[in-house]
Amino acid sequence: MKNVIEVKNLTKEYKQLRAVDDLSFEVHEGEILGLLGPNGSGKSTTINCILSLLDFSRGSIRILGSEMQPDAYGIKKEIGVVFQDVAVFEELNVYDNMDYFCGLYIKDKATRRKYIEEAIRLAGLEDFKRFFPKQLSGGLLRRLNIACGIAHKPKLIFLDEPTVAVDPQSRNNILDGIKALRDQGATIVYTTHYMEEVEILCDRVIILDKGRIIASGTNDELKQLARIEEKVSVETQRLSGKYIEEIKAFPNVESVDYSNGLLLIIYKKGKNNLTELMDYLKKEDIPYNRIYSERPTLNDVFLELTGKELRD
Amino acid sequence: MFIHNFKYTLRILFKNKALIFWTFAFPIILGTFFSMAFSDIEKNETLDIIEIAVVDNEAFQNNIIFKEAFKALSDKENEERLFHTRYVKEEEAKELLEQGQIAGYLLLEDTPKVVVAESGIDGTILKQAAEEILQSGEIMKNTGGFGILEGGASIADISDSHLSYTMIEFYTLIAMTCLYGGILGMYAINQNLPDMGSKGKRVAVSPVAKGKLVFGSILASYVVQLIGMALLFAYTVFVLKVDYGDRLLLIILLAMAGCLAGLTLGVAVAAVFKADDNLKTGIIISVTMLGCFLSGMMGITMKYIIDKNVPLINKLNPASMITDGFYSLYYYDTLERFYFDIASLLIFAFIMTGISMLRLRRQKYDSI
Repeated sequence: MKNVIEVKNLTKEYKQLRAVDDLSFEVHEGEILGLLGPNGSGKSTTINCILSLLDFSRGSIRILGSEMQPDAYGIKKEIGVVFQDVAVFEELNVYDNMDYFCGLYIKDKATRRKYIEEAIRLAGLEDFKRFFPKQLSGGLLRRLNIACGIAHKPKLIFLDEPTVAVDPQSRNNILDGIKALRDQGATIVYTTHYMEEVEILCDRVIILDKGRIIASGTNDELKQLARIEEKVSVETQRLSGKYIEEIKAFPNVESVDYSNGLLLIIYKKGKNNLTELMDYLKKEDIPYNRIYSERPTLNDVFLELTGKELRD
Repeated sequence: MFIHNFKYTLRILFKNKALIFWTFAFPIILGTFFSMAFSDIEKNETLDIIEIAVVDNEAFQNNIIFKEAFKALSDKENEERLFHTRYVKEEEAKELLEQGQIAGYLLLEDTPKVVVAESGIDGTILKQAAEEILQSGEIMKNTGGFGILEGGASIADISDSHLSYTMIEFYTLIAMTCLYGGILGMYAINQNLPDMGSKGKRVAVSPVAKGKLVFGSILASYVVQLIGMALLFAYTVFVLKVDYGDRLLLIILLAMAGCLAGLTLGVAVAAVFKADDNLKTGIIISVTMLGCFLSGMMGITMKYIIDKNVPLINKLNPASMITDGFYSLYYYDTLERFYFDIASLLIFAFIMTGISMLRLRRQKYDSI
């Protein structure tokens, strides 16, 4: 598999703080790589170093087989970037904003026009071409931000938390758009601290904390890192300590917690945990409203690896 | 790519209401205000001709500035003349004063001395006139004017007109407008700096050399600034009926050089300071206002004081270079001083550009 990005031993220090610590990873052609981590974990710093915006202390970065430099215009031509903050001109309307940024990559006006129209459709901005940024809702503005970054049809796209503070409808639209870009052949590096997005979108995930890679792999590979196999929740009232102690003694149970009428049982492994539990509840005539079973999420993995929530 | 960036920077600048206000509207509003305020003052200046005397000694005969000035101020052909002047010996002047035939007399020795009988408006006018002539003479001396005079060149013929308050204010207004153009340059450059926000980052990761982008932005800002200046000139000439005399083209040339100096000052502020737009705008406005104040915007006396005591300040002050250029057009027939001021402005612009380039050429940042 061809590597589009190769990062080796990347280290970025700010005086006393090591923001990125000896990071090495590759991004394969055609994949969506998720960079997952809490705020301050080094995601954006890593992206800025890769883009040659930031100086770094040690390491090397190669993109499309060549060393990345500030004046590597040949490489830059193939890159599209969507930054976390909206980067559009208030003075220009939707179409002109896209034309300005796209024009930095593509000279030919007719090609540019065609690409912009495609990007407008992808971002769902057909009805807002002549709108100025201040006339757009937060979600539409984010879509414009993305459209400006990808209109020139780059081979490699960096999306740095593109869905922050976006309404659900716009978020779904953005995520669909990103999948469409991947389907068109683009390689995407997607940073976020929303694990749901990573689970939906990413082929591979790198989890960062304090500038270091703490885990990487596909969603399933990462979930296998968690010591838990299943979480079962039961909504039930007035559960006595006797029952809780008996449930704790069940096979494969890692922990049991009961509070506010919710019983949460974590299983290390096992395939029939839920059936066994339901049999027990029936036998002891314990009433319950709802009972449901979940697989561990990336957040559980992150919690287990770092001891904190992703959004801390 | 250069034209693409140039074209869009023009559109961005023209559509930014705040920038357009400060560049186009504010000077016009201020000019209108000056015109209303000062033309009324000048119209109301229907003073009676004041009887004075000048002691006709060797010092007076050798002082061309005072001689020419009093000749102009007492010229019968001049409808706006202030004085009826008698040129007499010192004793005779004293006698005339004691007899109440004159409001006061001027005695030139090492320093000019005005003697008046009692405090009153006529005596105050004589004192003020002498002081202004002295200050104007000092400004000319400080700017090399006397050297030119001694070399045989002549002082400009001011016998049929005088530099009114209105004109002084309009010249300073032009200087201020030139320097305010720095805000345009600052704004345009900020859009290309990755440490100034996401737009700058997006531009910085594009496959276009920073030099091309920056040059396109500066050129677009200069064009906007020149259009603003042209509007100001058109408004003052055709609407406010300001008479710039027969040297309008030279005034425009000076304004163009001044605009370049102001623009590059703004670019340097954008490049050197890592601060938001508002703070950078504040720095440019503060520098401009201070420069205009020191160059005599709020009274020509300040220019005189600075030129006399700390001449280096006004030699480095672009506002002073611009106003000095205007005064030199008024005071001298020759253009040496004027071209010196133009050259000073261009050197200032060159230095500012150099400082900016040193900062802007960096490709990577420690933090953004």
